[in-house]
Amino acid sequence: MRRISVDIGGTFTDCFVAWDEHYIGAKALTTHHNLAQGFNDALDIAVQDIGIEKRTLLAGIDSVRYATTLGTNALIERKGPRIGLLVTEGFNSTVPLSRGRGYGEGLPFEKQRDLPNAVRPDPLVPIQMIRGVRERLSYDGEVLLALDENDLREKLRQLVDQGAEAIVVMFTNSVVNAAHELRVRDVFLEEYPSYLLGAIPLLLSHQVAGRKGEYSRAISTIIDSFLHQVMYHGLGTLALNLRANGYDKPMLISHNSGGMAQLNSTDALQTVHSGPVAGIAAAEHLAKNSELGNIVATDMGGTSFDIGIVVEGGEKHYDFNPVIDRWLVSVPMVHLVTLGAGGGSIASFDQLYNTIKIGPESAGSDPGPACYDRGGMLPTVTDADLLLGYLDPENYANGRIKLNAARSRFSVEETLCDDLDLDVLDICKHIKQTADTNMSNGISTELGSRGYDTSEFTLLAYGGNGPLHCCGIANSLGVNRVLAPPFSPVFSALGAGNVNQMHIHEQSTYSVLFDTTAKTLMSDYNRLNQAIEDLEKRGREDLLRQGMRSEDIQFRLEFDMRYGNQRVETAVSSETTRFESVHDILHLIERFHTRYGERFGEGSQASESGVRINTIRVSSYVELDKVDFKNIKPVTEKRPVEPVAQRLCHFVGYDKPVMTYVYDDAAMTVGSFINGPAVVTTKDTTYLVEPNWSYHASHKGAVWFFKSKGTA
Amino acid sequence: MTNSISKANLSKEEQALIDQFLIDNQLFYGPDPEIMRNHGLDPRSDTEERILSAGLDAQKVNMVRGRLTAALDETHTMVEQMGVAPGAKWGDLVTAIFTANGDMAQTGTHGIVVFASVCQYPVKFIRKYWVNEPTVGVHDGDAFIHNDSAYGNIHNTDQSLMMPVFWEGSLVCWVSSTIHEGENGAIEPGGMPSIAETKYDEGLKMCPFKIVENFQLRRDIVTFLQNSVRDPKLQLADMKVKLHSIIRLRERVLTVIEEFGVDYLQGTLRKSLEDTETEVRRRIEEIPNGIARVNTFIDGNLREDVLAKMPLEIRIEGSRMIWNLKGTSPEFTNRSINVVMGSMKTCLLTSLILYVWPDLPKNQAVFSAVEVEMDENSLVNCSNEAPNAMSLLPIFRSFSMPPMTMGKLNYCMPKRYTAINANTYSQPATLVYGGLTQHGEVTGNFCADINGNGTGGREDKDGEHSLSPVFGYMADTGEMELAEEELPYVRLVAQKLAKDRIGFGKYRGGLGYEQIATVKNSTEFGFMTGQCGSKHPSAYGLFGGYACPAYPMARIKNINIFETFKNNPEQFDFNMITLMNERKITGGDYYVQDAGMNFELCNEGEIYMICQGSGGGYGDVLDREPGMVAKDLEEELISPNLAQEIYKVVFNPENFVIDEDATQQARDEERKARIKRGIPYDEFVAAWVKPEPAEDLPYMGSWGNDHSTLVVSPPGEKRYRIPAGSSGVMFSNPKDRLIAELQAEITTLKKSQGC
Repeated sequence: MRRISVDIGGTFTDCFVAWDEHYIGAKALTTHHNLAQGFNDALDIAVQDIGIEKRTLLAGIDSVRYATTLGTNALIERKGPRIGLLVTEGFNSTVPLSRGRGYGEGLPFEKQRDLPNAVRPDPLVPIQMIRGVRERLSYDGEVLLALDENDLREKLRQLVDQGAEAIVVMFTNSVVNAAHELRVRDVFLEEYPSYLLGAIPLLLSHQVAGRKGEYSRAISTIIDSFLHQVMYHGLGTLALNLRANGYDKPMLISHNSGGMAQLNSTDALQTVHSGPVAGIAAAEHLAKNSELGNIVATDMGGTSFDIGIVVEGGEKHYDFNPVIDRWLVSVPMVHLVTLGAGGGSIASFDQLYNTIKIGPESAGSDPGPACYDRGGMLPTVTDADLLLGYLDPENYANGRIKLNAARSRFSVEETLCDDLDLDVLDICKHIKQTADTNMSNGISTELGSRGYDTSEFTLLAYGGNGPLHCCGIANSLGVNRVLAPPFSPVFSALGAGNVNQMHIHEQSTYSVLFDTTAKTLMSDYNRLNQAIEDLEKRGREDLLRQGMRSEDIQFRLEFDMRYGNQRVETAVSSETTRFESVHDILHLIERFHTRYGERFGEGSQASESGVRINTIRVSSYVELDKVDFKNIKPVTEKRPVEPVAQRLCHFVGYDKPVMTYVYDDAAMTVGSFINGPAVVTTKDTTYLVEPNWSYHASHKGAVWFFKSKGTA
Repeated sequence: MTNSISKANLSKEEQALIDQFLIDNQLFYGPDPEIMRNHGLDPRSDTEERILSAGLDAQKVNMVRGRLTAALDETHTMVEQMGVAPGAKWGDLVTAIFTANGDMAQTGTHGIVVFASVCQYPVKFIRKYWVNEPTVGVHDGDAFIHNDSAYGNIHNTDQSLMMPVFWEGSLVCWVSSTIHEGENGAIEPGGMPSIAETKYDEGLKMCPFKIVENFQLRRDIVTFLQNSVRDPKLQLADMKVKLHSIIRLRERVLTVIEEFGVDYLQGTLRKSLEDTETEVRRRIEEIPNGIARVNTFIDGNLREDVLAKMPLEIRIEGSRMIWNLKGTSPEFTNRSINVVMGSMKTCLLTSLILYVWPDLPKNQAVFSAVEVEMDENSLVNCSNEAPNAMSLLPIFRSFSMPPMTMGKLNYCMPKRYTAINANTYSQPATLVYGGLTQHGEVTGNFCADINGNGTGGREDKDGEHSLSPVFGYMADTGEMELAEEELPYVRLVAQKLAKDRIGFGKYRGGLGYEQIATVKNSTEFGFMTGQCGSKHPSAYGLFGGYACPAYPMARIKNINIFETFKNNPEQFDFNMITLMNERKITGGDYYVQDAGMNFELCNEGEIYMICQGSGGGYGDVLDREPGMVAKDLEEELISPNLAQEIYKVVFNPENFVIDEDATQQARDEERKARIKRGIPYDEFVAAWVKPEPAEDLPYMGSWGNDHSTLVVSPPGEKRYRIPAGSSGVMFSNPKDRLIAELQAEITTLKKSQGC
């Protein structure tokens, strides 16, 4: 397997190269003005390791795959075209009002609850660029009010006159009858053929999101439209760069659904958060490949802490209405929870409870923690880590950032010591412990609300600060083993290289499996089967268009099901792909019953309220080669390692400092074993082995942390 | 008096005998005034005293609190996801933890605080009456259901399930789960009956009783409850939801005990409350002594027009803060808008948490330091017999009065904990519905539009358009496509900002939106609305800002709009005002009325129109930045002539570009005109203040500063006065009054014709 995968983040461009059996991870600074430059820099590091020319590498690989935060950044910076929005008349304020709660989406709850200061984010489509068109469809697609084409033409003209650079159409119930939306496209082309105005992109909501929910579908389409240009240019530049350097195959883009596709088969919306999602995809593969069972994947960086869940043999966890930046959208995205907890999270005094509060404010990377010496005056988690002795001031981030401990100390003294009446080190321990507890509480909420028992999971820790805090988080969570995966600093890039070519298609439906009033089971199998077949056909066409072979295409069928009129939509996968009998229907209800009970507790099921399918989802994919993660399980051999230094470190639960050995990651081989406390330094991160924990290196650079039995 | 004298003459032993006799021969365990009138924290229990005296590690307490928050967030998510009631889907729910004594100690990051706070009362009732009652008892695995406001609830459409948590045989805390359920078997569908004349018209009235044993619902009682409501499916499904959420919450609490010890659990709960109360007292002491007041008025009781006074005076006296609601209208003994004292207090508490001190923990102690004064038998402190299913009308005011009053007190403060704000719109501006769905199911509930109140202008910015319900945050107005899939209504106008209907000011209120609905595919489906504010505004301005306008409702009956769509689509305009002013739909009967409409069936294609409201404005309209007016014009929030009239701005009508100089001149002139119109304050008072309300005004409540006497003007009766605290007022039936009027007319006619 020869493959390059890249995760272009806000700060770093991570690159993972698989060159036959040779795996290399490399990092370079992201160059926002020209993404190709950062990519080239990372690739230069990788080729040095392999010992070949970059051009030879690019000419010889099978594929280049990208996960990128380009879209996320463009959204945050509001870099996009002036969009005109056409909606069903009467729904004119649906987008501006954002279901009421839009002011708080994506914000910490402290801001959500501060109603007197609530402010909605700057709109992607200002109110004056919204027009209602006279038309209306019923919930089941019946035309209640025919499309008024004169009205439509007038509204289009108004938007174009007002400088619309893109048009989005969101008609109510268009997912069950797309005729009116499709007619808008025809009329638009009649009125404004491309030779007249150039290509003004026009996006139809039913083609972006297949689910009901007029607000979230509108926002999804708006974001897709908003990001189209910047994504097209950004990724187009990368494609040109690749071609100029000898790569002549299509570029593949990671999706937030956990799959990928060629650039020309990718909606901009599907790329948002694809980097972190790729990390979860890597975790999923790693768990399967090495038979690790259930995994909770955690990525702790400078500003955030991402949590993903991978369950052995279980359903995939999707968010169907995830929040992207400040917007609730409708797209099936691999479930990912982001907490505002990272190295840059600011510690402050909680006057009410006379204790320490971490976040939600973050120093981010600019100015960053006080110790970065870039003007940050407030103490952060990283400042505490430094003062506790865990970080090497001279070699932080591979020496790219020199840390100033005096600044950290000053920030803690100035802001916390007097109020808490504690010395600096005690406060730092509190900061560390509170940060770890907050993160473990986040994990516990995530697992708990999905019905899982924390003790049945292996904690996977990656990201810049993951291996530094993983023992503390595990202590708080009651987990006894942690895995820092191979290539943990570039784990998401690795994940991007590991996903399948995949497309997900959904269809909203109102299919009653069990009608509790009539006491009947579904009998119209044809309608259900036809819907499934249509979705498979769309997926097959997508993959065939990208050169996949028909015989390689596989499908995974899932239903979002609910009892009665409840809100939750529990995803249930079905091995049966065509329904032909009462047995098939009852079997599906039984699967739903089981899954629901696992999640919410046995006995919580409510079949007597009726059972419905709300969405049919077909994932069409082609299984591709994966990076080999076999044999990363713990090894039995324990080999001692020589420390390179020692220093005093301070730990939670220890009144006095503890002399702690420092090891160099370069000296580690399979079986290397260290009893904590210890610090292991690598190029890009620091592994902290807390007291009562041990460090055990496995194959391919994987590291296991184990808690000693019998310790609290 | 007789009773107290006889008590004084009794020996201790005799008194004990009598007390025991009364206990043994209690007829009815009704609402307990000792519980219902106390909003303070219970005294420390012996256990709490022991734990807190020994001292707790603050960091460890912090971790326990974090664990409990995680558990509450987990269970909140469960309820929101699993819940069937619209209220659950769109955010009207909460899970909470109480001390062993029943004080509400913690909720999660989300959820409706007032639902949790008000559960302190039923928990305390269970603790007092059922623990030692041999036929009931409180055991591990039990849970109690409850919805009756007289025992502590906002109104009986909200249902709670409460479960004791035991550790090694001792009761260590309580957990609860509450959902606004909607349908409850009342005289009208949907759970909020506007025509209820007694509490027995209001559907289920569950005092706290045991419905769960060994962690399982008792099917016989469940069946009884299902049999008492229109939507038995909803009743069962959501009881399961609540049960499984509190079972999960109990498990998480036990895990915390296993990790940190039971003392840390109980110590943390108690310490959180005490720390909060201490902080509130500190904040009270920060505020200079003074008095601030606001008088509000409710303009209807859903059956007839009345102007019911509901004032709030806040006094700061050193470390004391006193909230005085005396002078409020007397109770409406046969109308459903009364409020139980405990409900009112917990709403006032919530207002503090939402609009004044949103940084404080969401627990009961935020209000425990506040002293409250109310008249007996008043609209805000009704008797046990008074119906209260539509208590929302006064209750929504209880959320909007404190921020205004506290805003005045806080204005001088160097540190404020949030922005000073004018009123958020305070009406449940939503369609309540009921009947048979297109899927053949019986239902009754309300639309999520209740969660879209416009917020008030603020000290530094405009209010936000329809943002949240006045009683909570991060609730949801939902997706119409999903609602229409389940219900036979069609929203012809789902959300369209209500142009010109604004609380003007330097910073204007956020606007509400129009809602136009009809019915399709059901012959038995109808609507009601439970609002007032159609004649007197519901959101007041602050520091010179305007109040919001009044919002009536409108209907067009005897049409089928779907036929109009087919044959004469041009007759329909997606605009409430045009529809009613131009009346282009032929053959229709057009009605405008106050927004309190009793339930009525809607034939297919008939139209019902209501409007969410704007928040109040903040500051003088002449201080509004002209550029902000131009933006409002561009966004078609305001008509050009209104912008000129109110804000005195001059602009190019083609492009709304402001003429700065002309605007300055217009404003200068208006300021001079104001001075010219002005009169000395004493003169104004002399001219403005009247000895009593206008003769034809159906006024209820105190008049002026004398709160000892209340004016009572029931429709159809001669006005009279009663001492504050007197028994409530009975109203005649509007239909009887109408019949009497008609009979009088007939008599007159007959007389005139010599019959």
